[in-house]
Amino acid sequence: MQKKYAFFPGCVLHAAANEAETSAVAVAERLGVTLEEIPGWTCCGASHVQDIDPETALLANARNLALAERMGLTIVTPCSTCALMLRKTRATLLDGKKDWANERLAKAGLKFEGTVEIRHLLWELADSCDEWADKVSHPQTGLRVAPFYGCHTVRPPKIMDYENHLNPQSLERIIKACGASSVTIPERLKCCGFHAVFPAETTAHRMTASAVSSAAKAEADCLLTPCPLCHMQLDMYQPDALSYSCGDKPVPVLHLTQLLAMALGLEAKAIGLSRHIIDTKPLLAAAGRSAIQG
Amino acid sequence: MQNFIFLIDRFDGTNSWRQRYEFPHKPGMTVLACLIHIKENIDPTLNFTASCRSAICGACAVRVNGNAVLACDTMVDDLREQWGEDTLTISPLGNAKVISDLVVKWDEKIHRLRKANTGLHARDEFSAHEGCRQSPEDMQAVSKQWDCILCGSCASECNKLSDDSTDFLEPFIYTHAARYAKDSRSKNPMEHVMDMERSGLWKCLHCMECVTKCPKGISPADDVALLRDLAYRAGCTEGPGPRHAKAFRTDLENTGRLNEVRLVPRTEGMTSAATKRLPFTLRMFSRGKLTPLEAARLFVADNKRVQDHDGLCRILEANRK
Repeated sequence: MQKKYAFFPGCVLHAAANEAETSAVAVAERLGVTLEEIPGWTCCGASHVQDIDPETALLANARNLALAERMGLTIVTPCSTCALMLRKTRATLLDGKKDWANERLAKAGLKFEGTVEIRHLLWELADSCDEWADKVSHPQTGLRVAPFYGCHTVRPPKIMDYENHLNPQSLERIIKACGASSVTIPERLKCCGFHAVFPAETTAHRMTASAVSSAAKAEADCLLTPCPLCHMQLDMYQPDALSYSCGDKPVPVLHLTQLLAMALGLEAKAIGLSRHIIDTKPLLAAAGRSAIQG
Repeated sequence: MQNFIFLIDRFDGTNSWRQRYEFPHKPGMTVLACLIHIKENIDPTLNFTASCRSAICGACAVRVNGNAVLACDTMVDDLREQWGEDTLTISPLGNAKVISDLVVKWDEKIHRLRKANTGLHARDEFSAHEGCRQSPEDMQAVSKQWDCILCGSCASECNKLSDDSTDFLEPFIYTHAARYAKDSRSKNPMEHVMDMERSGLWKCLHCMECVTKCPKGISPADDVALLRDLAYRAGCTEGPGPRHAKAFRTDLENTGRLNEVRLVPRTEGMTSAATKRLPFTLRMFSRGKLTPLEAARLFVADNKRVQDHDGLCRILEANRK
């Protein structure tokens, strides 16, 4: 893991998913890593602006990349959709749109050279498991965690080319390094529904219900996701979604960095576990029992 | 190397079962070569479709361990390495009606494809005698979509179709619509767009399975985006899909960042925000996801503008000129 990154939090980390930012920053601090927020970063378009104005979306992200290049650092983002949009923009610019974008970026004194790398925080944490594993002071032994990757974490693999998209293992590696155990559910690589929660609401809720039901049936203590948008869908909309399943019990949903923060011994309050819509107290009780048993 | 072991999902029109086939490993065999080996040497009752063996005809798509591949274009040794196991499960394509074993029915899908008004209806200046000339650049704009071989892989794991196919189409149908809509020779591009707009265009979940599974490197998800853009520019701006996208663009332009509080009223209208979405809002307040004060501030005053927002405006303005 590098010592310093150009941090691209994404809009929801400054809003409803703020606990994902708090926990990412807390984990980074504990690991001796600086997350320096990119000054003036904007929304990546969230895969929506592209649908009505692809050039605006492309230019906004070209600007984001140019701003990070000025810092001379690798971009790291904890959001899978932001990672996809930024990486896709980089690929598009390098595939013949660079001069077109630079003509426009020049109006703000910016230039995209193509040197910037964009990494998902998941990838950096998975790659550095061996570096931080000895800092795990509170192994979550016995905690049953159901990984939920989220579409844009692994697809399309041409752009999100970190690991085997059919059988990724980065989350499982981190869960293991945190001392917890992975519970595989059939929805592990499925869609949460978030990006169509308004135009295809019923489908979105059924996708969420399906993941939650499977996690409950597998007796998972929580779902774990590396994407704050999946988290919003699986947590904030879970009460709506469960009305589509037959009396399944709610399952708490953790951000990736919250699990890591717990394993590193950070306080629950400091990482925003009380901000979740689905109560995380049963999860903490399970983690506590595990710690005692461990 | 270990023997090949295929677990194949069988169906005889009435009964379904999973059948195990084991045969000696031979390097360089494709999935199709294995299926042919089974049919010729082990079990002549096994049914599957195949023709060209060159990834051109699209007849041999099947699922391996739940994921669509072209059988003739997929090496079994690669799959064994990818999955880390010697046993592979072979099933018919997903989101398709199975006729027999690995053979799926195409009639309904072709019927649905007609909604894209496929076929090039050339502009008036073209004629049978003169032909329909276009520049290399214009040809390149649609050349990728022309590669579609109608194998059905893009639809196999489409998360939207798996949930409900009554209000959404197979991703390749949007690709076919896009290829005619963006063809510089088309007389009326919108004839390929409007029926798509009425056929689930805004219900794509962005799961990216179609892009991932296409063996020809086509991106149906990008074609969905392209059709949305064309429909929006043609005035189809109402409905939660376009309104949601517009809300994001408005925030991007106005401040640089998403305003979550204004998002729901902009997408669904004030009435929905104040009634249907009220329980959602209340639980956001109750868990401290958002305070009522912050919500009021965001609704009235918006986010603060990002650093050098003026620069962003100049960039976007330069593009509009």
